[in-house]
Amino acid sequence: MIIMKRIQLYAVAVSMLLASSCSKLDNYGAPDSALYGSILDIKTNELVEQDIINGTQIEFLEQGYENPISQYMVIKNDGTYRNNLVFSGAYDIRPVRGNCLPIDMQRIQVKGSTQLDFKVQPYIRVQNVSIQKIGTKVVATFNLEQTVAGKVKKIGLYAHPEPIVGEPVRTVAAEQQINTTTNINTVYRLEIDLPANASLKPGKEYFFRVGALIDVPEMKPNYAKAVRIVI
Amino acid sequence: MLQLMRKILLLCTVLILSAGCKKNFLDRRPTDKLDSKALFADPLVGTRVYMANLYGQLPIEDFRFYDRGWSYVEWMAPSVVTTAFLTDESIHSQWDVKLADGGTSWWEPGYKLIRDVNLLIDLLPELSMTEDNRKMIMSECSFIRAFAYFGLAKRYGGLPIIKTAQKYSNNVDELKVPRSTEKDTWDFVLSECDKAVESLPDVRSGDDKRRATKWAAYALKSRAALYAASIAKHWNKAPLSGEAVDKGLVGIPAAEANRYYDECIKAAAAIMNSGKYGLYKPTPASREEAANNYTTLFQDPNAAESGTAVEPIFIKGYAKVGEGHNYDLWYQPNQTSNGWANPGRMNPSLEFVDQYENYSTPGEAHPIVTTTDGDVNNYNGYDASRTYLRFDGPNDIFKDKDARLWGTAVLPGTTWKGKTIIIQGGYIQPDGVAKIETDANIVVNGTTYYTFGAANWTDYSGFNPSNLQMTRSGFSYKKFMQPALMPPVERNAITDWMEFRYAEVMLNFAEAAAESGASQAEGTKALNDLRRRAGHTVDIPLTIGSVLRERTVELAFENHRYWDLMRRRDFHTVFNNTSRRALVPVLDLRVTPAKYIFIRKTASKTVQITFLPKWYYVSIPGISANGLVQNPQY
Repeated sequence: MIIMKRIQLYAVAVSMLLASSCSKLDNYGAPDSALYGSILDIKTNELVEQDIINGTQIEFLEQGYENPISQYMVIKNDGTYRNNLVFSGAYDIRPVRGNCLPIDMQRIQVKGSTQLDFKVQPYIRVQNVSIQKIGTKVVATFNLEQTVAGKVKKIGLYAHPEPIVGEPVRTVAAEQQINTTTNINTVYRLEIDLPANASLKPGKEYFFRVGALIDVPEMKPNYAKAVRIVI
Repeated sequence: MLQLMRKILLLCTVLILSAGCKKNFLDRRPTDKLDSKALFADPLVGTRVYMANLYGQLPIEDFRFYDRGWSYVEWMAPSVVTTAFLTDESIHSQWDVKLADGGTSWWEPGYKLIRDVNLLIDLLPELSMTEDNRKMIMSECSFIRAFAYFGLAKRYGGLPIIKTAQKYSNNVDELKVPRSTEKDTWDFVLSECDKAVESLPDVRSGDDKRRATKWAAYALKSRAALYAASIAKHWNKAPLSGEAVDKGLVGIPAAEANRYYDECIKAAAAIMNSGKYGLYKPTPASREEAANNYTTLFQDPNAAESGTAVEPIFIKGYAKVGEGHNYDLWYQPNQTSNGWANPGRMNPSLEFVDQYENYSTPGEAHPIVTTTDGDVNNYNGYDASRTYLRFDGPNDIFKDKDARLWGTAVLPGTTWKGKTIIIQGGYIQPDGVAKIETDANIVVNGTTYYTFGAANWTDYSGFNPSNLQMTRSGFSYKKFMQPALMPPVERNAITDWMEFRYAEVMLNFAEAAAESGASQAEGTKALNDLRRRAGHTVDIPLTIGSVLRERTVELAFENHRYWDLMRRRDFHTVFNNTSRRALVPVLDLRVTPAKYIFIRKTASKTVQITFLPKWYYVSIPGISANGLVQNPQY
């Protein structure tokens, strides 16, 4: 019996030894830095409105390795971003596939809380926006200032219960295919007929936002700020 | 005692270790595998056995296929889901089936098949057989290799093209083959099809009748060429960017489109001019006959193999009950479940049914009109202020619809497997109150009416939201299903699958003609011959819209729609915050006798679906090891 116990003891000791060798996963430091900032209009210095889902992304490559792989961050709808779990170090970084002209990769050092703002030229500035409930309709009027040649593909008025409303996140959309170069003086008008859209419930509040999409591959719409309306 | 124990332990250890040192241990032959010498002792028998294994690995998208590959469905039984749920063809009664990021992975099985066929190609010159046989088998290998590379190319774009079985020689880098451009990849697929055509036989018979003929190779070529042409022509609908695009690994220059359309037309024409193939029962006397013919064609493709007009070009046969598929279990209406616990999953959607033509308005999709105002874009549900059209029977509204709708879907109030299938979503009470998609009953003039058409849930097939086997689209499913009740046993259905059939070849031809402007007369004839088989008597002009609609309805649920949306870059337009739609038959008790009205609405408990353009390509696995350029945005 004693022998059996000893053998058991051995077994326990051996397995503990084996287990202890696996206990350290790695000896790298934890991500101890934060990276945050804004996407700013180079001309007006205002935040460039974005989509959080399927919108512009920030591509970043951590330097110091062979063949670093692209990682991506999303941007909040108001045009700001923040990542509180970043490894300290050098990064190549830029916004990609968004609603502004592509800018070059830049090398940054991230240490502690690091701010990095991107100055960009949005494809379209959505201006003079008015969104209001008129009778049983929600009516939006606005102008478009195109900053590049080419066509505007479509414009849209989007509605959703959450402030992250946009082209990808909407309960109801009133879209219009434009497919033409726009003029800054043209007033565009879009409306959502409330009784015809039963998914917008009377008495509840919804967020409405207008956007315009440039006809450039992979690009995302430009927006004005969302407006809260009780319908 | 302790010492004895230690000695025994030591002895055991030494014994175990020494056993590992037996002479020639590494050279020992496995007892459960044959080497090539033994397998090919009789070269013809050996190649036949080896071929059977290769055919079994072909990426044929049949009853057991799902977007995540063939193996995905195995752990939860085949046919639980199909690509139809990922397209606008169908809604699942229980789940919102969505394309997962990338989906459709077939990388490793694909390259395993390619290695297996390359091994045979490398061995072939050494086998003793007649030159004719050697050529034939070489062509058959090309067919399999073309099929495999096609299966990979439509998922990943440009591929590493490996033409001989690789050998490992201590240098891993030698095994790393970079991706070819997408254009070169498709050209390789087409050239392999040409080699397959060279020496494959005209006909197969007896035990070999399921093996590829030269016509199967032509059919594969027409399908592949159409795929390549579509990418070249429609790339700009959803352009991507990045290293893979810059290097041409995905995307094909638009200037190549017409060359591929021409290849498609030539391959399809070879079959159409061969005199060997035709449509099954091409000139039905009535619409009912047309609907019947369409149903039976898929219930038993072998029946369509006799006579002068042979429709199947390449069949994947199912032989063994117990190793078949489960369409007949999962997809049949609730009322014919025959004891199976989870029927009713396949619910053809309203947006799909809307695609069918009406006989009275040939040449256009005809959305189902349910109200006097004719508004077919209102999906808000019942609205007392609108005037709904009233019908005597629950399927009168479909009377003028293309026969293939009747042959594909189980419509409300039609007979299926000896039962009248009841699909009803509610009623309007005599006082005007609507009870829809809720369990209720009411007595009117001494008769009890139930919202779902019957008192007991086993006696109806639709809309009860607390029951997962009820259709929520208003339609149930018929195509491919056996006409008799099936025992509620898994893998019991052994319906054969037509991977290539004549109708698809005609449609490939018609689409290539419509897109490229070539061969207009023949394209128009192919389109209208196909419509004639469906009971249409008025010819329509060849337009890209009419060809695509014809494809949607003729090839419905044959796993084509998914790839049509992919190759033509229509997926992200069709699915952009898109809701799934239903047609709800409702009994109107405000009139005597009661009549049926129909409500177009968003299907209950469904979500909006969006397709992201990067999903036009699947991500390549193992990039860090194989060193390949990844597809955009992965």
